[in-house]
Amino acid sequence: MFAGILKYILKRSIILFLTVVVAVYITIWIANMGGYVDEIVKSDILLSVSQSIRQNPAFKGLNETQITKIINEVYNNELKKIGFDKPFIYRSFIYLKDAITLNLGRALFLSSDSGSKNVRIIILERLPNTVLLFTTTQMILFFIGLFFGLFLSRRYGSFLDRLSVLLAPLSSLPGWFYGIFLILIFASLFRLWFGWGLPYGGMVDAPPPIDKVAYALSVLKHMILPVLSWLISYSFINVYVRRTFFLMFSSEDYVEFAKAKGLPDSLIQRRYILRPTLPPIVTDFSLTLIGSWMGAIITERVFNWPGIGSLFYAASVMFDTPVLVGLVVIYAYLLAATVFALEFVYVILDPRIRTGGA
Amino acid sequence: MSKVKGFLSQLLLYKSALIGLIIIIFLIGLSIYTVITIPYEEATRLWRAGEQYWLDNPRNALPSWVNIFSQKRLPETIILSTEKPQVGVSKAIVSAPGERFSIIKVKFSFRYEYDDFPSEINLFLKASFNESNPHITIYWVKPGGEQITLKSLLISRETMYYISNDDRLAEEIRGYISKKINRTIEYEAPVTLLLFAEEDNSVLKPDTAKVMKGVYELWIEGIIFETKVDLDAKLVIYGKVYGLAGTDHLRRDLSIALLWGTPIALSFGVTASVTVALIQMFIGALSAWFGGIADTVLQRVTEVFMVLPFLPLLIMISTFYKFNIWVLLAVVIILTVFGSGVKNYRAMFMQIKEFPYVEAARAYGAGNLRIILLYLIPKVLPTIIPSIVISVADFVFLEAALAILGLGDPLAPTWGKIIDDAYEHGALYKGLYYWVLQPSIMLALTSLSFAILGFALDKIFNPRLKEI
Amino acid sequence: MSGEHLSVRNLTMYYRTIKGEVKAVVNVSFSLFKGETVAIIGESGCGKSSLAKAIIRLMPRNVSVYRGIILFNGINLMDLNEEEFRRKIRWSKIAYVPQAALNSLNPVVKVGEQMIEPLILTYKMSKREALEKAAEALRRIGINESFIDRYPFELSGGMKQRIIIATALLINPELVILDEPTSSLDVLTQANIMNILKSIKGERGLSMIFITHDISLSSELADKVAVMYAGQIVEFNAAEKFYSDPKHPYSQKLMESVPTLRTDKKLGFIPGSPPSLLDPPKGCRFAERCPLAFSRCSEDPPTIYLNGDFYVKCWLYAKE
Repeated sequence: MFAGILKYILKRSIILFLTVVVAVYITIWIANMGGYVDEIVKSDILLSVSQSIRQNPAFKGLNETQITKIINEVYNNELKKIGFDKPFIYRSFIYLKDAITLNLGRALFLSSDSGSKNVRIIILERLPNTVLLFTTTQMILFFIGLFFGLFLSRRYGSFLDRLSVLLAPLSSLPGWFYGIFLILIFASLFRLWFGWGLPYGGMVDAPPPIDKVAYALSVLKHMILPVLSWLISYSFINVYVRRTFFLMFSSEDYVEFAKAKGLPDSLIQRRYILRPTLPPIVTDFSLTLIGSWMGAIITERVFNWPGIGSLFYAASVMFDTPVLVGLVVIYAYLLAATVFALEFVYVILDPRIRTGGA
Repeated sequence: MSKVKGFLSQLLLYKSALIGLIIIIFLIGLSIYTVITIPYEEATRLWRAGEQYWLDNPRNALPSWVNIFSQKRLPETIILSTEKPQVGVSKAIVSAPGERFSIIKVKFSFRYEYDDFPSEINLFLKASFNESNPHITIYWVKPGGEQITLKSLLISRETMYYISNDDRLAEEIRGYISKKINRTIEYEAPVTLLLFAEEDNSVLKPDTAKVMKGVYELWIEGIIFETKVDLDAKLVIYGKVYGLAGTDHLRRDLSIALLWGTPIALSFGVTASVTVALIQMFIGALSAWFGGIADTVLQRVTEVFMVLPFLPLLIMISTFYKFNIWVLLAVVIILTVFGSGVKNYRAMFMQIKEFPYVEAARAYGAGNLRIILLYLIPKVLPTIIPSIVISVADFVFLEAALAILGLGDPLAPTWGKIIDDAYEHGALYKGLYYWVLQPSIMLALTSLSFAILGFALDKIFNPRLKEI
Repeated sequence: MSGEHLSVRNLTMYYRTIKGEVKAVVNVSFSLFKGETVAIIGESGCGKSSLAKAIIRLMPRNVSVYRGIILFNGINLMDLNEEEFRRKIRWSKIAYVPQAALNSLNPVVKVGEQMIEPLILTYKMSKREALEKAAEALRRIGINESFIDRYPFELSGGMKQRIIIATALLINPELVILDEPTSSLDVLTQANIMNILKSIKGERGLSMIFITHDISLSSELADKVAVMYAGQIVEFNAAEKFYSDPKHPYSQKLMESVPTLRTDKKLGFIPGSPPSLLDPPKGCRFAERCPLAFSRCSEDPPTIYLNGDFYVKCWLYAKE
């Protein structure tokens, strides 16, 4: 049996890995935009080479033809050094290998706050900000959904229940949309009316407080509106989905039998409703969490939050391919790792899967 | 037919569905009206047109109906032109017989009863002459009869005098009024205020300055040393309100974009939603029905797409190619089609294909395609209608989101583009809330109506909910 | 009427659906003494399961009417509030074995743990002790003890049903309600279960309500028989009297449909289908399918008492 499990794990890992590879490769191709990025790099190099040659006192005496010749030589050398003498398709595989091994290289245009052009540093500088904001948001949403979903599933048809169904469509307006209005009210109008308002955006006051506690408080203050915008948008639909989910599972036969056995409500909720439904709930949460780290580009733009989302946007607009590819690789690995981990979680949570039953 | 009737009557039971449906019908009506009255080419032409076309409109003006609710009557734009015969416009060009010069006298007069000052004042002059440029002097006459010389200048064939931008004039009049009321006006009062203000202590602070109501006049007097001459003038006193929806920073009438945003949003949202759902369903059915290699391949392809970051790729492609909106639609569809929806449909079809009536169909020799199209898909169709309706909202917002990010079609007059312009020009900081609120409300209305309808449909169509 | 273990009087239960109000249980009355088994016989959709659930208060979400008297050991159960009923009566005194228990076991909890839950909760037994008892119970119904540690999906339908019954008996209730305990099982398992029930009936003096659509099956256990049609009990009699001489035309038709081993019997059947519980006909509900219907049947027939508690609801037996 052990060999069977091992074989299965191996098979899954290989498939996941291949998925990552293909996805990254596609990104490399698209990010190159049909040679456009190549052109940028090349013209960059030509410019810097020309400048350095012309400014080099050693070449002062030479005439134009000779200078041009030297420039061309050095230029072509430089291209050879970074492998640009070979066609893109050849280079794409090198990029792929680098990306997969997390050798993310240097950015073309962007740089980190500390001035480094190392893509890994750029990304790692921003990642914690996004993780902080969105993990907090997702956890709050998760518990709201779970708690109220469970609560409402037992009060089907009650006023609160119908209210939650009524408010669920609010989610059709994305979080960032509410964000704009929250800024309008709590930042703009409040300042007009009360002389004080929540921040317009950003992660921390400028200049940032030195004291650690004050810094943390400042970050918290800046988190209020973004988190709130997502809560307004997604709480109701979350509660609605969970409540529908639990409703469906409360009408299962084994729940009824549990009631017939005279078991108290709390035990039934825990063991007969929550426990069997954990696999899809956990899956949903994990994937949503990972997704939110990468997908909240617009929210980060609206709130000027220095995270992965704004990095994605900046890199996309500037065609900073190394950064883009780096981000995609990291995301792909994170996702693959999560999916992989979930398989184990499934096995633990649902005994039917262990022996291949159901 | 009775099935449709039965379904409709069930739907109408839900008041929320009714509201959603009514709003959608209203939006469709609005779209039809817009498409008929302003054809698309004209709309884009207008929207794209440079400032020249919109020059008669005020900049960043509020919608006119604001005046209904506000105590202060905000000014509308007053345009007086010698090219159009109007009350309050008089022009006389007199060539004295025997003399080789002409005297031009243009007089504009208008009533100003508003409670607030205009936003700008411009004078457009067109002169026709042979060689010598006319020399004119412009006077401003306030209701009291008091005459102020604005400027003396030589004009060319086309001259624009931005009266409100004339800083030197502002200083002059400031000094003049200060002397008159024996107090110094401390702040840098703009021309628009000074030319219209009550000349008493109220003018000392910008918040307290009052409008002198009454009849104003603008005189243009000039001399040209030729006989065959003509001069046309247009005085535009820009208001602070305009039209149904106000104007933006380029003086464009926002109602055009608001109206046209409707059919664009609707067609974008519905087309994307329906197309994606249908294709995903078909792929899911193929995957579930044929199984084997086809299934494996399709599943792996789906997984690759699920790993690819949708929005960043879309941003990259849009930044590079600067699409028009319909190509954008196609790209969005292609990128979305292999998403997680396929997995859901596949799961549904895996269940359905085991149903006895499907087996029966196979037994009588039905072809694969026939089974997929006539047996599998129709069974699943009702259940997914709610999600199709709900996802319209998502696509409408996707288009808006791209516009807000500054991508998408830069020429299409969409709601997202309005919000983008507004955000770019600091609408929230400047308090130009209407600029953001109007398109936002349209977006919200559209999305909410589809979402409400979709949720009500879900209650009807979702078989598992019915059991409860 | 004293000394009865269970006495149900005019029990009524309706519930609301989108299509209207379903009158599932209409003025049902029957009784049994300690150690007796009442068989409730009827077609599918006649309200038998609703009756069972009404007795142990497993109400559907949209119940609209629930009234009547349920005397258990002299106490009216309808007087108890929800919590009291749950703690004192449900399962510990009156157990319920649902129909088609294929999905009645929690798929993610081990079998043994599910069986002993009530023991631990009500009798505060230690887990070890409870598991021992459970193992013993499994042995007695012929299932290997090792299944205590297994999960429900590893069991066959018949095993699951037997385990549910074992779970019910584990707690030593006074009354067990069995809703079609054998209908989805093969004949061998069916016989097995019937044997278990018979032995338990003999050993412990357990009172039982046995719900089934299979007349011949019911005869193995029944001391009393109640025939249910369209939400009502149309005949309630002692077993020997019922099987030899069914009074109500419906009961007669049911008996006719049972094949006999030796005689060459022409099997009867009842044309038409039972009325909907949403909008039952006025008057006798069986009238439109009854071969003996006559003019008075357009009125709802009265309860004609035969002997003590036993009765039949049919105009044929009304004395003028």
